[in-house]
Amino acid sequence: MVNRNAFFIFLAGTLISLAIFLGLTWDTHRQVNALTHADKLSEEVVAGKHVWAGKNCNECHTILGFGVYYAPDLTKVYKRIGAAGIKAAVLQPEVTFKNSIRHMPNLGVTEEQATQLVAYFEWVSNIDNNDWPPQDRQAGQSAAQRRLEGSAGLSAGAAAFKEKCMGCHSIGGAGGSIGPALDKVGTKFDAATITKLIGDPPSVVPGSRMPPQTGVSAADRQAIAEFLAQQK
Amino acid sequence: MEQTSKVDASVATATTTQTADAAGGAIGRTRVGTALVPYASQRVAYWYFVIALALFGLQLLVGLWLAASYAFTMPQGLENALPYGMTRAIHTNLLVLWLLLGFMGGTYYLVPEEAQREIYSVKLAYLQLIALVGTGVTAIVGFLFGWTQGKPILEIPVPLDFVVVLGALIFLFNVGMTVLRGKKTAILGMLLGGLVFLALLYIFGMPFYRNLTIDWYYWWWVVHLWVEGAWELVTASILAFVLIKVTGVQRKVVEKYLYLETALFLFTGLAGTGHHYYWIGAPDVWLWVGAIFSAMEVLPIIAMVIDAFLTKRHEGYVIKDKVVWTFCMGTAIGHLIGAGVWGFAHTLPQINYYTHGSQITASHGHMAFFGAYALLNFAMFWYAIPRLRGITRYKPSLAIGGFWIMSLAVIGLGLAMAVAGVIQVYVERVLGQGFMTAQLHMQLWFKVVMFFGVVLIAGLAMTAWTMLKGRQEDSTEVEAVEIV
Repeated sequence: MVNRNAFFIFLAGTLISLAIFLGLTWDTHRQVNALTHADKLSEEVVAGKHVWAGKNCNECHTILGFGVYYAPDLTKVYKRIGAAGIKAAVLQPEVTFKNSIRHMPNLGVTEEQATQLVAYFEWVSNIDNNDWPPQDRQAGQSAAQRRLEGSAGLSAGAAAFKEKCMGCHSIGGAGGSIGPALDKVGTKFDAATITKLIGDPPSVVPGSRMPPQTGVSAADRQAIAEFLAQQK
Repeated sequence: MEQTSKVDASVATATTTQTADAAGGAIGRTRVGTALVPYASQRVAYWYFVIALALFGLQLLVGLWLAASYAFTMPQGLENALPYGMTRAIHTNLLVLWLLLGFMGGTYYLVPEEAQREIYSVKLAYLQLIALVGTGVTAIVGFLFGWTQGKPILEIPVPLDFVVVLGALIFLFNVGMTVLRGKKTAILGMLLGGLVFLALLYIFGMPFYRNLTIDWYYWWWVVHLWVEGAWELVTASILAFVLIKVTGVQRKVVEKYLYLETALFLFTGLAGTGHHYYWIGAPDVWLWVGAIFSAMEVLPIIAMVIDAFLTKRHEGYVIKDKVVWTFCMGTAIGHLIGAGVWGFAHTLPQINYYTHGSQITASHGHMAFFGAYALLNFAMFWYAIPRLRGITRYKPSLAIGGFWIMSLAVIGLGLAMAVAGVIQVYVERVLGQGFMTAQLHMQLWFKVVMFFGVVLIAGLAMTAWTMLKGRQEDSTEVEAVEIV
């Protein structure tokens, strides 16, 4: 062989890199159960993964950042919009995303499949993935950290609104489009009514599809309501 | 060698008469029958190339539709009837299929000349083509009815996976037997190694993994190790073959660079897979290994470009085919920009934390695939197709014009996606505003993508027409590419 040395360089370079790669693959398998909380990987979660694959969700959405960039990343969707939000999106996309600039097709997801998807997303949201994605990082922080960051530039009510409400609602064009924009909400409701609405939406707006925000503390509800009542 | 030139001479006469006969007529089987190639079995490559070109055209049309979906709000009824996800699956599957058919056609073209014997079985080569194209068509129709495995790029359902594996085995057997019974060269060794590696990796994408992290871990064994591993070996071998033919540089020099460059490709590319493992729930060590090795992935590409520019220093250098040479330089530079620079730009974890899974990735994907693999295939097409059609002299202007139109169009749409990506990263990930808010600001740039998409389609139409239907240029007063 004319190029004996060149060939050996090729072989050595390949084998060194391959050895590192396979060694770390072994290490990944060793650690992955702890990093992904595999003990919580129940049959329902796996059923949810089958629904995820069967409905081709990954062809519009990303998860762990992989897939397609047409629709939001769903790695932390469970922490962002919760079980009720996920169900509203997959069961009635044409209603939920009516005002969105991009629509989601109705994929014929059943109630049972929606529950399985929720289990799947809950499990995925707890994977220890170095706190990605940045836009959902708040969800992984402690309440104290969030409050510290939020209050640095905002009032307590605005900070809580940004954290708890903007996934669905917007002000000044910033925020989600699942729920109505709240730019002029202060002209319709006072603070006490808004506090009541957050905890039990149909009691104020009959037929409202907004899930009761049981995860928002009483103090936060009060602060959010005071902030929103000023939006006139 | 003497025998070859004798064949060439007789073919050349036959071609001239054929041209007269077929004035205004179809250039089909009869013209291919008069191909200007030393081994008759090389002609099988022609159909691989023609189908690859057609699928590329289809891929671009679907791509235009996808860009429109980003640029405008599609009504609910349309999303229900033709979900974006289905059309996107078609777009990416067509990409993989046409590039692979191009590589396979290229392989069938070069293997007889390298091994100095006919392909082991021409029938198997056609059978394999039918199996793969049949699978592709079934898969695409299936997507429209929701028949999918649901994994991006590797959507095709498991039963079809087995047909693909069967097609790959036929291919490897056919090429392997040809090489085994013929002359063994470094190019053939590298090519065969790359093809075996490519086929083996596909298997890792087939099972259903319960754990999403493990699922993505092995998904990249297919996707990353293909494009930054196996495909690099295959295309480097094809490029080496073409360079020997069109530059007159000595084989041993080209082969030395083939070894050194693929050494660097694999050294950086194998462990470099780690740059996909930063945010999936894999151990933190990947942040270091992925960053260091993938940052070096640009080195073999720089080496390739320097090597291409220095070709003229080598003994015996002369450009025998201006068109093929243009595409060879184009693929080297396109590889550097799309894969090297655009890849490096967001490969470090500190940056990737913000850009991961955004339109930045889409921009990189489009420019890298076009530069590194589409242009490489076109270099081979422009080498092989005139010979397969029996063309001995043709005007290079449309071919080179096609190169510039397509390349500038892809740079244009890649840059527009990059701008959209920067907007997305800033609005969504830095300001923390909603996904759709960011998309609203990006819509303008997808109109720009659509514009360049139309230009790209026009460039491809012109290129394909010139390649498949372009005329023999007999007038010696016109400057033309001489096929020797």
